[in-house]
Amino acid sequence: MSVRTLQGKGRWLALGGCLVWLAFTLFPLYWVAITSFKTPIAVVGGPTYLPFVDFEPTLTAWNELLSGERGAFYNTFIASLIVSLSAAVLATFIGAMAAYALVRFTFRFRLLSALFFVLVAFGGFLLGRNVLGFGQGISLIYSFIAALALAVISSRFRLPGPELGNNDIVFWFVSQRMFPPIVAAFALYLMYTEVGKLGFKLVDSYIGLTFAYVAFSLPIVIWLMRDFFEALPIEVEEAAMVDNVPSWRIFFGIVMPMSKPGLIATFMITLAFVWNEFLFALFLTSSKWQTLPILVAGQNSQRGDEWWSISAAALVAIIPMMVMAGILSRLMRSGLLLGAIK
Amino acid sequence: MTRNDPIKHFFIWPALIIVLLISIFPLVYSLTTSFMSMRLVPPMPARFVGFGNYADLLSNPRFWHVAGTTTLIAFLSVGLQYVIGLSVALALNSRVPGEGIFRVGFLLPMLVAPVAVALVARQILNPTMGPLNEFMSAFGFPNLPFLTQTSWALGSIIVVEVWQWTPFVILMLLAGLQTLPDDVYEAAALENATPWQQFRDITFPMLLPISTAVVFIRLIESYKIMDTVFVMTGGGPGVSTETLTLFAYQEGFKKFNLGYTSALSFLFLIFITVIGLVYLAVLKPYLEKHK
Repeated sequence: MSVRTLQGKGRWLALGGCLVWLAFTLFPLYWVAITSFKTPIAVVGGPTYLPFVDFEPTLTAWNELLSGERGAFYNTFIASLIVSLSAAVLATFIGAMAAYALVRFTFRFRLLSALFFVLVAFGGFLLGRNVLGFGQGISLIYSFIAALALAVISSRFRLPGPELGNNDIVFWFVSQRMFPPIVAAFALYLMYTEVGKLGFKLVDSYIGLTFAYVAFSLPIVIWLMRDFFEALPIEVEEAAMVDNVPSWRIFFGIVMPMSKPGLIATFMITLAFVWNEFLFALFLTSSKWQTLPILVAGQNSQRGDEWWSISAAALVAIIPMMVMAGILSRLMRSGLLLGAIK
Repeated sequence: MTRNDPIKHFFIWPALIIVLLISIFPLVYSLTTSFMSMRLVPPMPARFVGFGNYADLLSNPRFWHVAGTTTLIAFLSVGLQYVIGLSVALALNSRVPGEGIFRVGFLLPMLVAPVAVALVARQILNPTMGPLNEFMSAFGFPNLPFLTQTSWALGSIIVVEVWQWTPFVILMLLAGLQTLPDDVYEAAALENATPWQQFRDITFPMLLPISTAVVFIRLIESYKIMDTVFVMTGGGPGVSTETLTLFAYQEGFKKFNLGYTSALSFLFLIFITVIGLVYLAVLKPYLEKHK
């Protein structure tokens, strides 16, 4: 028995609180589940709670949904699955690497280099578009490369001005999440269209959507994983360094396994975020790579308040995530060992 | 603590490049359009207006009202999420009976698409056909205006936000609690510290970094609230529950007033950055004290 286990009265109080919260959490989900089996008349007739007792369940809503009568259901489902799994895996992996680097290594650069980047990227883009008459896509690519090159080169010299470090990089990453999504989504759509004119199809494509989701998940992954890595004891890594184990093997062989609970939690959050994301999917997809939230929302706007079919569509979006949550929370418990340090 | 090794570039650059690539164009594009008067419908040639859009917005009472509503929703819902989330995480961490079931059950709302949540909320809150109406009628309050009267509508939105996002707080805090070392608690038990003392002097301070991160993320995300409000109330009654993102949407994609929307986005960005910086600055001394 762990020292942290509650004893006596507190235990029952906690149990009571948890039960109340569980009821609050589960009731709406139960409600969608039963509504999806109701007939239109049963829905309009007022609230009923128990199948077979209160109302006679039917499969009408489900038949309509699965037969594709209400939109290309299978396509949408598969597209959602592929995009969200790959985006979540990539974002967790790339983000964890960056977070680790930000926790354990020192980064230093001058504010001036960052300013160079912003100025050249802005100026180059405007120059290319308005003065030199390149397309938006081309001027974007050129100015980006030039800005990046200049920033990297300039950081080699001793520039004047304040010096920035790891925390500033983290704050920059997180600040990317602050931008209102409406404008970001619209601008991204414009950017994808421009790149499309150059021959790379990004709108309504797997790469375009996944790339956008990875980029927008990264700040959260980095922010979260940084806290998990900071909580890890450094002794193991120091011992490995004494033995001259290279850094990449320390990361993949020691740090990643040790932070499994954090990695799984982060992966799940990213997955849920991508699976449920509405706005970017709305702007960046049209048919082939449309995702489930768009389909669900469409149920409402096409036919009005048909609660039975809305409920069925909503359930299709909910159930896979529930299965995933079950599996992952299992993994999280078993991965809960920091035994290596003790 | 940190070390230096060329391999660090290999670790950080993939993330850096991806985020730079995808964030720089929206930034450049919307910053330039924010200084223009630009409409798509009816099409009007872009005209440079300097800070005109910004001045218009700042003198528009609707903007201030919308900012106030969003702040109210964000702070109240995140506050509730944190208090409830921390209590639940503590209960789960101290091995409440049936913990395994709770652990899975509590996570579910977070995994539901906000659009779906809002649609379900509308069914449940329906003033005549919904179950909540029947429940309240049993207590003598029939047909409450859950979505059609400002204060009730705001309350409903906050409750839905709490329902959906408390799981995130629980998940993160629980993961944080699990990484706390056992030996501190063993020492506290030897000293006969009461559970309250253990919480106040050990658990809460050691959890502060992750708490800060969680609340920060939730605050930023709550400020962007849109799908839920859009489906539940559409910003109504009137514009009384309209949020910043919804306002931006109405201006940008109903009226196609792109310059105005871009300016709004930048004001929004400044607004959130200020709140974020103040929040971090207020918490910094506490975070450093407990390091």
